Amino acid sequence: MNFRILITAAVLLAGCGRNDINVYIVPKEAPPAPEPTTANAAPVRWVTPAGWEPQQAGDFRVASFKLTGAAGAQADVSIVPLPGEAGGDFSNVNRWRNQVGLPPVSETDFATLGQPVEIAGQPGKLYEQDGESSSILAAIQVRDGTTWFYKMTGAPALVTEQKPVFVAFLKSIQFQAAPAAAPSAEGTPQWNPPAGWAVAPAGQFLVAKFTVAGGAAAVNISTAPGDGGGVMPNVNRWRKQLGLEPATDATGLQEIETAAGRATVAEMNGEKAALVGVIVALPDRAWFYKLMGDAGAVSAHKAEFLQFVREVKY
Amino acid sequence: MFARIYRVLTSLKLTVALLALGLILVFWGTLAQVNLGLYKAQNDFFRSFFIYWSPAWSSWKIPIFPGGYAIGWLLLVNLFAAHFRYYQPGQKKWGIVLIHLGVVLLLFGQLLTDVFSTESTMHLRNGETKNYSEASRHFELAVIDASAADSDKVVTISSHRLQRGGDITHEALPFTLRIRRYYPNSMPSEKPLPGYSQMETSAGFGNGIWWREMPHETDTDKRDMPSGIVELIGPGGALGSFAISSYFNRPQEFTYDGRPYRLVLRPTRFYKPFTVHLVEFKHDRYPGTDIPKNFSSRVRVQRPATGEDREVLIYMNNPLRYEGETYYQASFDTDDQGTVLQVVRNPSWLTPYFSCVMVGIGLTVQFLKSLVEFAKKRKQA
Repeated sequence: MNFRILITAAVLLAGCGRNDINVYIVPKEAPPAPEPTTANAAPVRWVTPAGWEPQQAGDFRVASFKLTGAAGAQADVSIVPLPGEAGGDFSNVNRWRNQVGLPPVSETDFATLGQPVEIAGQPGKLYEQDGESSSILAAIQVRDGTTWFYKMTGAPALVTEQKPVFVAFLKSIQFQAAPAAAPSAEGTPQWNPPAGWAVAPAGQFLVAKFTVAGGAAAVNISTAPGDGGGVMPNVNRWRKQLGLEPATDATGLQEIETAAGRATVAEMNGEKAALVGVIVALPDRAWFYKLMGDAGAVSAHKAEFLQFVREVKY
Repeated sequence: MFARIYRVLTSLKLTVALLALGLILVFWGTLAQVNLGLYKAQNDFFRSFFIYWSPAWSSWKIPIFPGGYAIGWLLLVNLFAAHFRYYQPGQKKWGIVLIHLGVVLLLFGQLLTDVFSTESTMHLRNGETKNYSEASRHFELAVIDASAADSDKVVTISSHRLQRGGDITHEALPFTLRIRRYYPNSMPSEKPLPGYSQMETSAGFGNGIWWREMPHETDTDKRDMPSGIVELIGPGGALGSFAISSYFNRPQEFTYDGRPYRLVLRPTRFYKPFTVHLVEFKHDRYPGTDIPKNFSSRVRVQRPATGEDREVLIYMNNPLRYEGETYYQASFDTDDQGTVLQVVRNPSWLTPYFSCVMVGIGLTVQFLKSLVEFAKKRKQA
């Protein structure tokens, strides 16, 4: 008798669970996310490197670029967000290796493959798959439950040549903050480079670098804690770069109003190049912006450079 | 024959053997988590009747050890049976009865938890409001009628039902859904790759994508990503076939009978009659270091039907218990601007407390009874 009750209970329990079909009336949801076919609709922004041709994005891609190198070599760059782990880094890397004709790696070897890379101010992993006829350079970053894939596929020589540009491109990416989110207290400030500036590989001590006027001038951005050594030592560092004698006082320095308060502007002309530098002193660190290059190019782009610095949000 | 089975089932040796097997199972299952991950180890060792072993050279599954369900059920049956065999009415042993009932309640409560409890997560960015939580491993196809001005009519079809294929009709659906193909776990590709076939659909986006079925994912930190092709059939015939995929970051949209519809394959949602709004997520660190000190989510719970509107602070070991659900601080976004709350609904969460109290009282009664009898005998001697 008791067994019968138990078995009945067990059968009843096994049959319980959610229905296969459910109907709900729910408050109206926000409209669906805009079609991720253009850069503006996607939650990410970037600075397109010189020579990269934007392409129509697809069903998965939020951005797509084509680049052509020497002897007609071609490569394709894509940004693809996928929900969740999207299969995991290990299986994705082995899939890419398979695509370029490389043997799969073991999980132990895989652990040593990823190179640290900065994407939109946060750490990501960069994987290089060099095949004989094609190579895949891919960066993976998980942000808020979404895995973002940044991938360059193409001729091995071109992919190798473009690696520094690709790394700089990753660094230039910015995610649009949630509407109610407070601005980040730390990390890279938000800037909006003017049209015509191209992102370039930033050196070890630079936060970002752009080429201006087709490479005739360049904008370097760097930062240092505290006052970064002070105004005059930095102005003299710049003077030295132009082959000028150190200045002994602050004569000739100007000030401009920026989003973070007043900033110091130094202008100087050397024999071969000209330089406009801006020092923005925040309470805890200093930011240095430098436009340097051909005197004509510097003069022509000085106004937009100063406007760019004025609008940077910290 | 029956007498023999009865003797075995009521045997106290069986109790001891089952408890010993349980010990081994817990030990083995705990170690197995290192290689299998928490989710697979739980399923293979505790949510199964047997632990299987597959020889490297074949796909056979050979049972080699009883699993959690087998040991639990046998223990339950054994406890009941032994009780009825050895219990003699009139004997003053209700302490023992209480202990037995307490253990039975513990085992049965665990079974109820396993069957009835649901776990889901609620991901909120600062300033975001939601009236649903989402399952982390289960998916559903949602057909959303967005024609009303202030509400949506949502018909959801479980992944379980989609896997069975065939035609799906429901009084709330004005058309039939024909499941052309459904992969519970899949991988898409923009290019043709070995083993991939091309998706062929006649409406919406996704036509021409390459895809393939993938094996079921059992690792703790991975999950299945389903995809499929669904055809809509109205009274006048086929309306078009759509690609559905958990990889898509936007729904398929179409109009039927003048009403706008959306079709989306998404994590199973558990709707609530209230909303949870994330006022602020805080990630406190010890001064001058990156060592986490505390994670907390200040949420606002609003229930229009009752006018309830209050703020609650959820932090480690201080969950929000509301409407039979418990909201734990589980994780957070890497930029510290969003929180992940684990939502657990467990209707039998009180059973372990009751069973512990019962066993405690039973043990106390038995002990006191023995003590009193011992003291009496000593006095007489």
